[in-house]
Amino acid sequence: MPTPTYTPLATVTLGSSAASVTFSSIPATYRDLIFVLSGVVSAGAGEVIRVNFNGDTTSGNYSAVFANGDGSNTASGTEARRFGLMYVSRSQTVASFMDYSATDKHKTYLSRAGGASNAFEMIAGRWANTAAITSFRVFPDANGFASGSTLSLYGVIA
Amino acid sequence: MKLIESKTLASAAAQIEFTAIPSTFTDLIILCSLRSTSTDAYVNINLGFNSNTANFTARWLYGLGSGGTGSASSLVRYAGDLNTANDTANTFSNSSIYIPNYTGSTHSKSFSTDSVRETNASANASAISAGLWNDTAAITSVQLDSSDGNFVVGSTISLYGVLKGSDGIVTTS
Repeated sequence: MPTPTYTPLATVTLGSSAASVTFSSIPATYRDLIFVLSGVVSAGAGEVIRVNFNGDTTSGNYSAVFANGDGSNTASGTEARRFGLMYVSRSQTVASFMDYSATDKHKTYLSRAGGASNAFEMIAGRWANTAAITSFRVFPDANGFASGSTLSLYGVIA
Repeated sequence: MKLIESKTLASAAAQIEFTAIPSTFTDLIILCSLRSTSTDAYVNINLGFNSNTANFTARWLYGLGSGGTGSASSLVRYAGDLNTANDTANTFSNSSIYIPNYTGSTHSKSFSTDSVRETNASANASAISAGLWNDTAAITSVQLDSSDGNFVVGSTISLYGVLKGSDGIVTTS
């Protein structure tokens, strides 16, 4: 049996809709973090999901570049704190935070996000801060995560 | 992440299947190294759950070695591109398939894929995709088919389970 490489840190399945979910008290004992969202929006057709690290809400400290396709057209752009996508049909975001506990580098993440009924995209983001990530908050732009949405965080051992 | 089962084909097969998948994990991850016997220009992996092939939709974003990019939704069970008999010998495609919340019984099942067809030639392709099986049944088996031809001898595929749980330290609010 191979050594497990994903250590489950926290999983929440929402019992009611929520405007945001925060993961806190993240230990520094892993090399990378993996975030997984499986959910739907609580209202509207779809929303961009954004992220804050360590309570830093200053948009200017974040940058992200994305490319997506909706089945016919492609698009790309830049947008601060862009982290994922969620729609009225089941959607998902899988993101990696690399070397999240280092204190000598800005923090970066890679996401794959979207839904089969709408659009899918890849995102590369950066938080211009060398602090170790000890908490992060994910939140849709306007409404929230619907009841039944599941959010998980895993630690990856080097 | 724990290995559930790994397969290496000793003979060509039109389909690779994982059955009796335990319900003790949160998510599933499938990692593939595959090649098709087909001589078609483009061949892809088609995914099935519980032997069902209906009620699937997919959208993907791709980039080609020729420089072209695009997005499509016509292949409703799309789960990545395959190297074919037209490609450089001994080259296999790589695909990863992520299936969250596969045991739920109240929601349809979504999945995402990340694949590359590296051929050491001009037909390279890389793609990401989102898929949806509009069915609330828990996934107990997974089928992968080549859209044309068979998977060749030496193709490998592994199924991993990702455990849910808590370390007792990280909290959510």
